[in-house]
Amino acid sequence: MLDPSAARSGDTEFARLDRRSFLKSGLGGTLFLATVSTTAGLSGCATAPAGQLDAVDTQMKTSYQFRFLTRDDIELFEALLPAMFGPALPEQPQARRLAVAGTIERIDAGIENFGPANQQELRRLFDLLTFGFTRVTIARVWSRWPNVSTTDANAFLERWRTSGIGLFNNGYIALTKISNVAFYGGHDQWHLSGYPGPPQWAVDALPQFKTA
Amino acid sequence: MSLTDRIARGLEAGWKVTDATTLTDHQTHEADVIVIGTGAGGGTTAEILAKNGLSVILVEEGRLYYQKDFTMDEHSAYASLYQEGMSRTTQDGAIAILQGRCVGGSTTVNWTSSFRTPDQTLTYWADNFGLDNLSPEAMAPWFEGREQRHTVAPWQTPPNVNNDILRQGCEQLGYSWQTIPRNVKGCWNLGYCGVGCPTNAKQGALMTTIPGALDHQARLFHGLRAERLVMDQDRIDHLQASAMGADGITPSGVTVTLKARHFVVAASAIGSPGLLLRSDIPDPHARVGKRSFIHPVNATIAQMPEKVDPFYGAPQSIYSDEFNFKNGVDGPAGFKLEVPPLHPGMSAGVIPGHGPEQIDAMAGLPWTQSVIALMRDGFHPESPGGTVTLRDDGSPVLDYPITDYLWHGLKQAYLTMAEIQFAAGASKVRLVHLDSNWYTSWGEARAAINSIAMEPHRVRLFTAHQMGGCSMGQDPQTSVVNGFGEHHQVSNLSVHDASVFPTSIGANPQLSIYALAARNSARLAAKLTS
Repeated sequence: MLDPSAARSGDTEFARLDRRSFLKSGLGGTLFLATVSTTAGLSGCATAPAGQLDAVDTQMKTSYQFRFLTRDDIELFEALLPAMFGPALPEQPQARRLAVAGTIERIDAGIENFGPANQQELRRLFDLLTFGFTRVTIARVWSRWPNVSTTDANAFLERWRTSGIGLFNNGYIALTKISNVAFYGGHDQWHLSGYPGPPQWAVDALPQFKTA
Repeated sequence: MSLTDRIARGLEAGWKVTDATTLTDHQTHEADVIVIGTGAGGGTTAEILAKNGLSVILVEEGRLYYQKDFTMDEHSAYASLYQEGMSRTTQDGAIAILQGRCVGGSTTVNWTSSFRTPDQTLTYWADNFGLDNLSPEAMAPWFEGREQRHTVAPWQTPPNVNNDILRQGCEQLGYSWQTIPRNVKGCWNLGYCGVGCPTNAKQGALMTTIPGALDHQARLFHGLRAERLVMDQDRIDHLQASAMGADGITPSGVTVTLKARHFVVAASAIGSPGLLLRSDIPDPHARVGKRSFIHPVNATIAQMPEKVDPFYGAPQSIYSDEFNFKNGVDGPAGFKLEVPPLHPGMSAGVIPGHGPEQIDAMAGLPWTQSVIALMRDGFHPESPGGTVTLRDDGSPVLDYPITDYLWHGLKQAYLTMAEIQFAAGASKVRLVHLDSNWYTSWGEARAAINSIAMEPHRVRLFTAHQMGGCSMGQDPQTSVVNGFGEHHQVSNLSVHDASVFPTSIGANPQLSIYALAARNSARLAAKLTS
């Protein structure tokens, strides 16, 4: 079998590390991300949950109370979601904004149930992607996320998907998985997968759906 | 609702059920037996002990959800009914772990497949772990008893198209296939087993043994985390438990102390070793958490010319064991072939990708069929399983390295699944793998599978079956409990769940857990009442 890492893009000096031991212990990645997380915190990145966002400085709906995602994280997803779902998002700008905002809210709501350990992992991943130095060196994204084009966001996702480094593949899976579940699992997007929802005859017959 | 729902009726009738998230004061309770966990093992144990007149307290970290909460909605179900909000993975993130966290445990959210432990597995255990009294003949009455208790029978309704395609492909290729026995009563054939049965048809612990135990004066605390078993000399004195806060995830600070004569741990193959490790239970040969097995699962998806609607109908009804034991019980990795249900959220989370390619794949969902292969791990020296350890915060995590032996089996499974789907008429087939394209012929797929990278994170792997970590065996140097689930070192401690399995099962484990827990609980009841 060909060495898949040689054929793939995304090779950096990290590829020279013994990939198996690097991933096996997870230590390299964990220490590195922990450092990033601390550095990001010290350098004044927005590490507090965004709470209820002010309509003035964001495009998000204001009724939702964010409990995990920071303002920087929200900007990250505002840049990534069009690359993930662009053609499936509504054309009309306001409807499009609402679809993106609703998905980011469901991402936040989902993460709330992940528990402390997985939340910590995601915190490290998001800090790595939103902290300028690592955004440039690790993700190779040159501008801040609000200025990243959909093409560049897609190129970033593609780099991490095809990378020979498991840690980046894992980051890609984490980002796309939480976004995909939040997006396609939502009632408003069911039509995109041809899913009609629970059978109406069953809904009509079951007591838990009777509102009276 | 209250007229028909078993749980609502029981609560109205005065079952002793405490939602620990509402507790405001530290407290102490006492019973003959504390049972930790309410899944296949814990529910069975609690019912049998309670029916024998013993006082029982059931402890469940998840919450009590029942018919009123089962609304066939993915988001709310994944958030409330699954471990870590459906985000649980192995330590390096390479394998997704689907596991229940609610009253009834995984039996509340599983897809109802109910197989007896294969004879080959039981014989292997007898030969390799000194478990002679778990022979197929000795176990048969226990399986039969549990099949009656949980209304297990081969599914009579024709399979949905998703499952029927596995049947068709196998027929075309001359591979064997069978109908899956399911634990359902009056099933509506809806397809929502994974998000909590909306019709109460599923006869998991939630509808059978938990109500049975509560009817016999057992007490249930839900939203209560078992933190630590506390020893007094050579016996366990009490369980220290933490009430969850309103979110059900973070402790509120209220502690509950539970004292008993005997303690049964049934917190799953990840939770049970986790609790024993947190408790520093004597483990002179460092066996706790070792030999953890998961039936690593890989998958292929196919586009069919006909409509599949894979979100509707009994999720699993057809299987093939053609390749499970074909090369001997301890030869190259064997696998069982089954079918997963595909709802939009889960499908989008499982089928890797983004952008137009992903959008197209999702748009094709009504025509999408999938096959999964469950690797039979633990029967070969090169399949030693994984290890459960504790994170800094005390929560358990499973490290599961994929050995070359398993990669070989996973590649064989990719080949077999693609071959079956093309034989059944698929127009194209794709691996659930980061590098896979759609392949339009069996030849093209075969060539691609033979050269695709078999590496963690690129091959998308899953498990819904956690086993081992507190293995049973005759020899205390290589096991944690004996063949009756009795701890080798601590006399008033038993383990009654899938964590005692010394290998994987080679079939969906629910019925194996029910049967072994019933057998061991009957013995425990006799001991405690004599």
